[in-house]
Amino acid sequence: MSVIKLTGGRVIDPANGINDQVRDIYVKDGRIVAALADGDKVSAEYNVSGRVVMSGAIDMHTHIGGGKVNIAREMLPEDHRGDPVARTEVTRSSCGYCAPGTLAAGYRYAEMGYTSCFEPAIIPMNARQAHMEMGDTPIVDTGGYAMLGSDDFLLRMLVANEDQKSINDYVAWILHSTQTLGIKVVNPGGISAFKFNQRKLDLDEQNAYYGVTPRRIIQTLTRAVHELGVPHPLHVHASNLGVAGNVDTTLATMEAAEGRPIHLTHIQFHSYGTEGDRKFSSGAARIAEAINRHKNVSADVGQVLFGQTVTASGDNMSQYRNAAFASPKKSAVMDIEMEAGCGVVPFKYKDQNFVNALQWAIGLEIFLMVEDPWRIFLTTDHPNGAPFTTYPHLIKLLTDRSFRNAMLDTINPDAKAMSNLAALEREYSLYEIAIMTRAAPARILGLTDRGHLAPGAAADIVVYTENADRERMFEKPDLVFKDGELVVRDGKVVKVVRGNTHVVKPEFDRGIEKKIEPYFRRFHSVRMNNFKISDDELCECGGGSKLIPHACGKRS
Amino acid sequence: MSALVLALRNAPAQRVDVGSLNPTALAGLSLADIAALTLSVGKRTVRVDDLFELSGDDSSDVVFRGDCSKLERIGAGMKSGRVTVDGDAGAYVGQGLLGGDIVVKGSAGAFCGTGMKRGRIEVTGDVADFAGAAIPGDMKGMAGGLLLVGGNAGERLGDRMRRGQILVSGNAGDYCGARMIAGTIAVAGKVGAYPGYLMKRGTLILNALPAQMLPGVVDCGSHRLGFLSLLYASWKGLPGPFGALDASACTVRRYMGDMGVSGRGELLVRGG
Repeated sequence: MSVIKLTGGRVIDPANGINDQVRDIYVKDGRIVAALADGDKVSAEYNVSGRVVMSGAIDMHTHIGGGKVNIAREMLPEDHRGDPVARTEVTRSSCGYCAPGTLAAGYRYAEMGYTSCFEPAIIPMNARQAHMEMGDTPIVDTGGYAMLGSDDFLLRMLVANEDQKSINDYVAWILHSTQTLGIKVVNPGGISAFKFNQRKLDLDEQNAYYGVTPRRIIQTLTRAVHELGVPHPLHVHASNLGVAGNVDTTLATMEAAEGRPIHLTHIQFHSYGTEGDRKFSSGAARIAEAINRHKNVSADVGQVLFGQTVTASGDNMSQYRNAAFASPKKSAVMDIEMEAGCGVVPFKYKDQNFVNALQWAIGLEIFLMVEDPWRIFLTTDHPNGAPFTTYPHLIKLLTDRSFRNAMLDTINPDAKAMSNLAALEREYSLYEIAIMTRAAPARILGLTDRGHLAPGAAADIVVYTENADRERMFEKPDLVFKDGELVVRDGKVVKVVRGNTHVVKPEFDRGIEKKIEPYFRRFHSVRMNNFKISDDELCECGGGSKLIPHACGKRS
Repeated sequence: MSALVLALRNAPAQRVDVGSLNPTALAGLSLADIAALTLSVGKRTVRVDDLFELSGDDSSDVVFRGDCSKLERIGAGMKSGRVTVDGDAGAYVGQGLLGGDIVVKGSAGAFCGTGMKRGRIEVTGDVADFAGAAIPGDMKGMAGGLLLVGGNAGERLGDRMRRGQILVSGNAGDYCGARMIAGTIAVAGKVGAYPGYLMKRGTLILNALPAQMLPGVVDCGSHRLGFLSLLYASWKGLPGPFGALDASACTVRRYMGDMGVSGRGELLVRGG
């Protein structure tokens, strides 16, 4: 039995309403406890007086596993040979900056105080590979969202006007079979439409083959996820990513949810207007106003930060469009097993480029204009906007107005003139940063034992020395505990542990397999029973990961 | 001031990345700072003074001594200054070179001069395969500058080369100038099979027909090309046969290819 005491820290724990209170924290066998029982002996005490204590950070949208990340790694050998990571006594060698290897990804996340990361685009057919990669990512907890919406089986169900209950059963079956935590839809129906030579698909435009509109897919899937009681709302990568004027599509997508919970991901890429000489402008104000008004809507930003990165997305339609802007000039756009697609385009965001500079400003405008930090999440859509290692820099931009304005003065002047960023006075407090990186992601994902420090919570704890320079503060925590084990000291990994895998297991009628099994036999490259990932297999391919199922409260 | 000499204590058993030991990266560092730098050796790192004995103080003139055939990326990315290797060098000599001079008084390993943009590399001995070529994953090989080879070049010399000049005094292997995008390669000795394979543009200057010509490279007859006299004049004084060419001897037999791609590359065989 191990008992740890953290003495005298300034605890910031928004989930429990605790803002900067000096408290002792006790950890017994990997869980936080209120006090010690008689006979408990403290095996390790850490004096953290004067230092800031938060729960481990949670990245709710980061591409760290699955087919497209591997394609990005293969496509960019220069990214890997240019950034070698040597082995140490406790860590293994790895490499890579914008598409790091699994090992470097896990170590770097832990070294920034992140203890859970969620892969947002798992194509069901690739789920096994994605879980193996995430199982190979050390220290952090993982989980993923299964991607539906352009898969032939669902589109056929919609064409056949099958009842909502059957669709709910199929969605639940996918969650079980792929061992995932939520459902994502990417360019709803658009990935499929691309294969029928459609190069754009608006919310109310029909897929040329199935005749199904993106609106109908969003309505059906938000309802399915809601009725199954999956905690995380439908995770939506909306139509028209990156297209000037897409702000209207994004606002209409919010309405398409018909008041049910909906999460709009990397919303920065969906907040563009068509004003100005170059027909490209910020739609941030309209988006932020809509999020403030619709309490059922949440969003993560997908902030762009300048430098080399690689964009990896299931949205083959937008990536096909972007391939012309690839830097270096190479790209891959492909179909994956007729279930979905994939596009990988290396990209360099330049601060003197009008569009890139305005994208940077739009992301920050959204952060600052959305009032409720519980419904806006800090992401760069790693690696699409920037690698996750830029998070401390992003936190500084949000918490330090003078730094932000100094940066704003260095970007493309035309973009600066098109943005109202200079007028936004808001500076995020540490409490708000703790909400958007810890408490809120845990709440929206239904992770009841993460993202807070109340008794019963898992002991994922981070200790920082407060520094007015928030970038310095957040890039190098003093101590990071994962499930009660000290894994990072002074920003360096000192112990490698294995993270858990978070899943949901909603109730459903197994009778749906009578439809799915013959479909697999006729159309798929594997049989249905080989497609399903069992609990035992998941734990084995995760190198002994623990499976944590989260409760679903069925609503229909 | 005397040249900064890095003398290997023992020949390393594994490849060592010494790209960071170049005049640009070392500018302003004291001998003690340089000794404390770390280098990648496979998945580990070692201190510079574990590998080398250091002497001298002029970091703009770096000299490598000992058996350097396992030292990789010598002079990589430097902008100015001089690097000398007393003997053979490993792979990737002058990778991404931006200026300055690199002299190898021996032979160099694979991918010599890959991605170099400016500056000059002189190898008195041979270069291995893929000199001036693109590393897998890179879109172009050599992109400027001058690579002088005193001995022979291996296969796929200048593969995906984009700009710059490669002059080889000896022979070149098969697939010389393969996938070449632009630039100039001249070979004084014999050339192996299939030069200019999938070549888009660029110029190969040869003294004799290659061992085997590609079917996609077509004979366009004998020409007297005025630009050659300017080119030869620009080479005047360089070490090796190209420094002493008769600038008026500019009659060549011109072959164009590879017709499998755009067919705008040229093979010029001297003497017509």
